[in-house]
Amino acid sequence: MLTDKPIIKIQNVSCKFGDFLAVDDLSFEVRPSEIVALVGKTGAGKSTVLNLVMGSLRPTQGQVQVEGFDPASSSPELRGKIGVSFQNDRLLPWRTAIENVEIGMQILKVPPDKSAQQAADWLGRVKMETARDKYPHELSGGMRQRVSLARALVIDPAILLLDESFSQLDPVTSVELRKDVAALVRSVRKTCLFITHRIEDAIEMADRILVLAPPARIALELALDDQARRNPGSLREQIEKVMQ
Amino acid sequence: MTVTSNAEPARRRRLALLSGERWATPITVLGLVAVVQIASMIAPPYIMPSPLTILETLYGVLTTETLDVVATLVRLLIALACSLVIGTLLGVIMAMVSPVRPYLRALIVIDTGIPAVSWILVAVFWFKNPEHRIFFILLVILVPFYALNILDGIRAMPKDWVEMYESFRPSRWQVFRYLIYPHIVPYILMTTKSVFGYATRMIIFAELIGAAVGAGARMGMAQATFHMDAVLAWTVLLVAFTLVAQYSVELLERRMLKWRPEAELR
Ligand SMILES: Nc1ncnc2c1ncn2[C@@H]1O[C@H](COP(=O)(O)OP(=O)(O)OP(=O)(O)O)[C@@H](O)[C@H]1O
Ligand SMILES: [Mg+2]
Repeated sequence: MLTDKPIIKIQNVSCKFGDFLAVDDLSFEVRPSEIVALVGKTGAGKSTVLNLVMGSLRPTQGQVQVEGFDPASSSPELRGKIGVSFQNDRLLPWRTAIENVEIGMQILKVPPDKSAQQAADWLGRVKMETARDKYPHELSGGMRQRVSLARALVIDPAILLLDESFSQLDPVTSVELRKDVAALVRSVRKTCLFITHRIEDAIEMADRILVLAPPARIALELALDDQARRNPGSLREQIEKVMQ
Repeated sequence: MTVTSNAEPARRRRLALLSGERWATPITVLGLVAVVQIASMIAPPYIMPSPLTILETLYGVLTTETLDVVATLVRLLIALACSLVIGTLLGVIMAMVSPVRPYLRALIVIDTGIPAVSWILVAVFWFKNPEHRIFFILLVILVPFYALNILDGIRAMPKDWVEMYESFRPSRWQVFRYLIYPHIVPYILMTTKSVFGYATRMIIFAELIGAAVGAGARMGMAQATFHMDAVLAWTVLLVAFTLVAQYSVELLERRMLKWRPEAELR
């Protein structure tokens, strides 16, 4: 099922914030329909890598390509191709939940009735149909996170970038939300680059795990098949060892 | 139980605050009327006429000098509307087109340093038509408020939102229409509220020097002919107008900013 041509290609990328080196000579590729997990300690540079892929950040050195295009340029080719769920919800306060979900479709000029219907549909899939006409300040943190997930998924992007932030939530909600996200990602079966703090989730969901150590260096790369998954304990141990 | 007992005092405090706000203006007005009444009993009428005389004169002004009242209001509203549009555009341009920002900003800051009187005196020479004079004066005075506040407003927009919005690759027009515009509406309203009183004072001043029709011109005439009651009647009228305008913007604010959690605290 996986073709060989990579959909995301990161070549010798370095990224500096002033004098601070956040990414140092990073290279990796993601093939279509592949699910890749990024794990690593806080500050390892995971969100920075995601920013490079979505194009909100330009590398200081090296090259980032998504479907052969530079995501940081304003080229229209990537319009509607990338869906991002950020570490924080980033809902616009003047829009109700459903209007927030419609942001992407409005930009892509989906006809309003179709857009409203799809937004309502996705609010249902993230179990937020009751929040439909509420403003963000009337929603809880977990509810906001769900709405922002729907906002990323509703445009049916070819590539899904997920930066999880469920750690701020209470354990029960967080587990529930993680489960729902895992189910969603598996059900849409898209190319997905996701950041998680839960090694179990990475093992369960990903085809491949990249363990990052500061400054965004690949400390360990694990390709997972069903056989490897049969022994999650040892995988976990390996990952935890390099994360120390 | 604890939750409700915690929420109760906050609610009561807010109610008290609101009722205080509702009655503050009428009570203050009544107090001022009382002071004028007492003063008019001590001083001669050409220094301080009684509130009743002022009210009668006000009625006269409204019925016989309607044109002046209307002229001032129309001038004020047109100038405010134009300043709002031009100032907002300048603010947006400064925020969105970074090469022109420092120059435009410098120009506007220099403008704010020029005293209003300079503009008024200069406008009398530059423009023959009094309408042009007054429009120009109000514009140069009001536009910078909008431009600078809008620029600050846009710059205060969280970077997170911009990143989120741009991840969908919008056009520049979409960024303006759906991200920047809704974000600056509160700043536009806030600026309008804060310049209203100032604009009213300025237009009277401008009309006093540069026009033959309008509240300012009438007030100048009344003062020159020792009609203290007319001066005060016009004053009352202008204050009333400012209060009504302020209240209208606040209503608009409450309607347009219902998404804002703190909007109801006002
Ligand atoms: N805009 C920025 N300016 C300066 N430094 C930054 C910026 N963004 C990130 N950094 C730095 O880069 C490093 C990597 O940050 P990043 O947000 O990618 O970490 P992360 O792996 O996502 O961490 P977490 O798991 O806590 O989300 C950190 O040391 C951070 O301080
Ligand atoms: Mg992060």
